[in-house]
Amino acid sequence: MKLSTTMTVNRISDEVWEIPVSEKPGMVVPARIYATEQILTSMDSGVFEQVTNVACLPGIRRYALCMPDGHWGYGFPIGGVAAFDQREGVISPGGVGYDINCGMRLIRTNLTVEDVKPRLEPLMTELFRKVPAGVGSTGFVRVNRQEFEEVMRKGARWCVARGYGWQQDLERIEEHGCIPDADPSKISDQAVKRGINQLGTLGSGNHYLEVQVASQERIFDRETAAKLGITGHDQIVVMVHCGSRGFGHQVASDYLKVFEKAMKRYGISVKDQQLACAPFRSPEGQDYFAAMNCAANSAFANRQVITHQIREAFSSVFSHPAEALGMEIVYDVAHNIAKVERYEEGDLVVHRKGSTRAFGPNRPELPDCYKETGQPVICGGSMETGSYLLVGTDRAMHETFGSTMHGSGRTMSRAQAKRSVRGEQLKKDMAQRGIIVKAVSMSGLAEEAGFAYKNIADVVETVDRAGITRKVAELRPIGNIKG
Amino acid sequence: MAPFRFLEEVALADAAFEATGDTLSDLFEAAAQAVIETLVNPVTITPTCRKTIERRAPDLPSLLFDWLSDIVYLKDAEGLLFKDATVAVQPDQSDGSWVLRATLAGEPIDPTRHELRADVKAVTKHLFEVRQDGRCWVARVVLDI
Repeated sequence: MKLSTTMTVNRISDEVWEIPVSEKPGMVVPARIYATEQILTSMDSGVFEQVTNVACLPGIRRYALCMPDGHWGYGFPIGGVAAFDQREGVISPGGVGYDINCGMRLIRTNLTVEDVKPRLEPLMTELFRKVPAGVGSTGFVRVNRQEFEEVMRKGARWCVARGYGWQQDLERIEEHGCIPDADPSKISDQAVKRGINQLGTLGSGNHYLEVQVASQERIFDRETAAKLGITGHDQIVVMVHCGSRGFGHQVASDYLKVFEKAMKRYGISVKDQQLACAPFRSPEGQDYFAAMNCAANSAFANRQVITHQIREAFSSVFSHPAEALGMEIVYDVAHNIAKVERYEEGDLVVHRKGSTRAFGPNRPELPDCYKETGQPVICGGSMETGSYLLVGTDRAMHETFGSTMHGSGRTMSRAQAKRSVRGEQLKKDMAQRGIIVKAVSMSGLAEEAGFAYKNIADVVETVDRAGITRKVAELRPIGNIKG
Repeated sequence: MAPFRFLEEVALADAAFEATGDTLSDLFEAAAQAVIETLVNPVTITPTCRKTIERRAPDLPSLLFDWLSDIVYLKDAEGLLFKDATVAVQPDQSDGSWVLRATLAGEPIDPTRHELRADVKAVTKHLFEVRQDGRCWVARVVLDI
């Protein structure tokens, strides 16, 4: 087996690999990577270097983990999971990422592909008009500083109170769309100015809004799918991938600076400047946690305002209220966040960066409707290949701090993707395959071509076989909006 | 045109670049141009406004980091994209710090006219470097996309 690292990587099972603590000075726990042999051999050297750097952080418990969609990131690898003791451990912005609470939302409908195909073009045009995307885009919601602080505190609850959503939406969002312990006094003026006009916007890069189809033959567990509102029969669903926009990016940048100084004070040294961290219980650690929660809540609010706009667009194109179209949220889940969660060791600070919470059945955090199934997990693939709906398992609770994959993971640079295909050509090719694309940036579109990513089916198969999530349905795109 | 090149091998999912300049002022202009051109095709920008930036930092890497972060900040906070930048970087002999005075020429974002590219989330410290190579100044920067 040829790997991109010279470190010893031991096979624990067909889908789990371990790098022992002897491989790098300072490792406190072993590192574990979830991957098939084929995926492991395709991983870049940054994954091995970074996951073992994480394993050196103070107060880390059990393992530093990386999911099969893992690749090089800043500090933590993308796909990284690490849990820290509250008293002895740290919190690190590098373990969350710049896009705080970047996450996925899935909305079901009772429309079929037969209903939608004849009006797909006007639908995509209306969605593109109502959900701004691209560099520096601004939304229709205008708030003053005081109202924006309410968004920071209340997240999606603020939106529902303002009429941008339904009461029942809230139970189908992680943390009911409102994480407690958010403190706007820990937010800089710069962060407010970067984010105050961006509620209800997608951003760019790999963020998107997609109209997808759930076909009967691509449902792997019909009983669970039905409980999640996915009936198949060429059912139309809508998937949203975005985060906290400029607001969250600025919070992350602000606190990386704070932590660089704090590390000296607390005598912490790290292997990589982007792993800057502070003791969780320190004033700096608590300030970042409170600020990060503000950004996380703003991301829930962002996806909630987008949901409102999606419902309006469908309602206007199909001349029925969104309620009559059955446009319920299936679930909304973060994949860039740090949270305090209870495990066998007690309350731990779990960092997920490019990794999705995947709680198994009967966790108290889950709404009643998903207590039996386990938490829905939404994993976005490339815009050409499709995405997956999965559910969390008991095994994830014991092995991965209730965490799993988040997407497919890039394998090609943005520049190489742009050299391989032109955005205009890709748009035409996709149209021929029945996928309508609306993009703000043609070069941005080319950068997100399907061939620039791992095959998501292989990644999903890995977490399914490893037992840390169960696959429920594959969702194929027919319309895509990109920044 | 100020010299810079994108480094493909450094950041698979993001954008990394190396900027060079005969002087520090040239280097800071080149690095700014790389950030500008990550965001937008500058040919499509008609400068209708100017932003003056003054920055002071204890060392050159901090000064460059703050300067490039300003361009990202102005994109979101004021909705501005730029065509180019004019920069003067000087040491302050009194305390050993470094001072930047710069002017950015640009206009409000207009997706109907501007050829928009990737939205930069942040300037990162990953592999961030400012060094002197012979008589030339070189900087390496990774942007989070």
